[in-house]
Amino acid sequence: MVSESVLFGPGFWGPVVATAALLLITAVGWLILIGGRRITKAKPSAGKIQTYACGETLKAEEAHVDSEQFFSTISRVFRPFYRYVRPGHTGVLSTYLFWVVVGLIIILAAIAVVLR
Amino acid sequence: MIPHAPILAIVLPLFAAFLMPVVGILARRRGIKRAREWFAIAAVLVELVIVVSMLPVVWGEQILVYQLGGWQPPWGINLAIDGLNLFVAVIVAGISALVVIYSFVCMERDTGLDQYYTLLFLILAGMMGVALTGDIFNLYVFFEIMCISSYALVAFRRKWQSIEASIKYLIVSSLGTSFILLGIALLYGMVGSLNIAHLAQKLPLEPTSAIIVPLALFVTGFGIKIAMVPLHMWQPDAYQAAPSAVAALFSGATATIGIYAMVRVVYTLFGAFAIGIMLAALGLVTMVLGALMALTQRDLKRLLAYSCISQIGYVLLGIGLGTVLGVQGGLFHLFNNAIYKTMLFMIAGAIIYRVGTSNMDRLGGLWKNMPVTAMLFGVGALAISGVPPFNGFASKWTIYVAGIEAGQPVFTIIALIMSALTLAYFLKALNSIFLGQRPTHLKNVKETPLFMLFPIVLLAALCVIFGVLPQLGIDIVRPAQEALMNSGGYISAVLGGA
Repeated sequence: MVSESVLFGPGFWGPVVATAALLLITAVGWLILIGGRRITKAKPSAGKIQTYACGETLKAEEAHVDSEQFFSTISRVFRPFYRYVRPGHTGVLSTYLFWVVVGLIIILAAIAVVLR
Repeated sequence: MIPHAPILAIVLPLFAAFLMPVVGILARRRGIKRAREWFAIAAVLVELVIVVSMLPVVWGEQILVYQLGGWQPPWGINLAIDGLNLFVAVIVAGISALVVIYSFVCMERDTGLDQYYTLLFLILAGMMGVALTGDIFNLYVFFEIMCISSYALVAFRRKWQSIEASIKYLIVSSLGTSFILLGIALLYGMVGSLNIAHLAQKLPLEPTSAIIVPLALFVTGFGIKIAMVPLHMWQPDAYQAAPSAVAALFSGATATIGIYAMVRVVYTLFGAFAIGIMLAALGLVTMVLGALMALTQRDLKRLLAYSCISQIGYVLLGIGLGTVLGVQGGLFHLFNNAIYKTMLFMIAGAIIYRVGTSNMDRLGGLWKNMPVTAMLFGVGALAISGVPPFNGFASKWTIYVAGIEAGQPVFTIIALIMSALTLAYFLKALNSIFLGQRPTHLKNVKETPLFMLFPIVLLAALCVIFGVLPQLGIDIVRPAQEALMNSGGYISAVLGGA
């Protein structure tokens, strides 16, 4: 059966109830966090809170995850994509124009196949 | 409805654009500060009122046909306003109003603001023209007005990077508009008319083979504007180089216009619902490529530009499915995307305004300095990732259901995975900018100015409202979906008994 519209109501996804539940759960979580902090007070020594990096103390500017490598594990999964597609995004105008022409050909062929 | 509202919606920004330098000169001579900005805000708010005044008539299932010079279509030029183009016009007017308010502070350090506001209003006039016209050649002319103003605005700061991006955008986009013009010429040669309704009436009589080339030219031409893969490459460069207010306008309003023009031509003019599956497939590719490219970006604006490409993929997927639910989902996502993408670019602009860079590797720990901005970024990030209870969830959910109902569960699975990737790259951005250790040089950074914060808060509120009350969004979108799927009604309303 094809629907006329998705009904957002009290059925599978009731947004008002769900939002209230989300807020309630957040509040409970927050209370547990605050309660936990009161019961077990952290007393770190100066040595414990220092950033450990091969014995060196890093400045705040240096203690930053490299944005490009942030999801390097995911990037590795899609390695073929990054190897072949990314070089096309180098800012060279002739490459952009080449892909416009390729796009036109693809669209032309696809429309011809679909409409015939 | 305000009398003559359809033509006023186009003429008002056009006049405001040409009056802007005069207002600027008079304000300088008389020593009135910010007169130009206040004039711009007043003009864009009046524009919004004019557009909104048409809603009761059009939502009352009436198609407004405004004949210019009293000439009957197809002989004269007419403006034809149904649920679809009014929906788009409201988005455009609303986003433009917020961008002009945002520019008040965001652009205060720039010079040449007479030209800036002139170009901004020219873009608005162009967008309104594209949205409201019932004539395909007029649509092209207004599209060109919008595009040419956009090229100039990308290069507005006249830095090497912005000029280079603008030239690339100009060349690629001009190729696209040439395709559109060629498509119009071919249609005119075949049918001998430029009226969209008249063309839609006559084209089914032409052999299918004759419409393949013009249809492909139109899809490619508008595909460049909406940055559909593989025609997308100009967009990250242009969005990164443009002032943030301009990038916000592009992402929220001009992208919406591009999608409108494409669906109006493909579905209404050609009645080519059959190529919907091709649009859905291209939408999937666009979605995947945009998300994977966004994942490895260092610059926030560039990340947002790729994210824009990815989200347009969702819109194309929904609309391409061609079912009631798919079109509803696609249009709802278009509406939501305009809200949160504009908001996210505005936040990027606020960060640049305060810190001077959008390079995420040079940021961090800004939560302490900009808590409200950080919270709003969180709202935008969750909304665009489709996390409940924000608006992105409602539209993406509709698209997922539409995919399964249309017998394309693989499309839904890919869209779901890309949603997870969207959350991943926005969490990266959130972490790099607002969390972690704060570099010493960012110690004295202040919160976003209130005047800049106002439009962002408003958009964030919309993200929550349409997330918690998605039925309201569906109700807004439904007249647009019904108009898009009822070409016959559009044709008979414009041509009458002709």
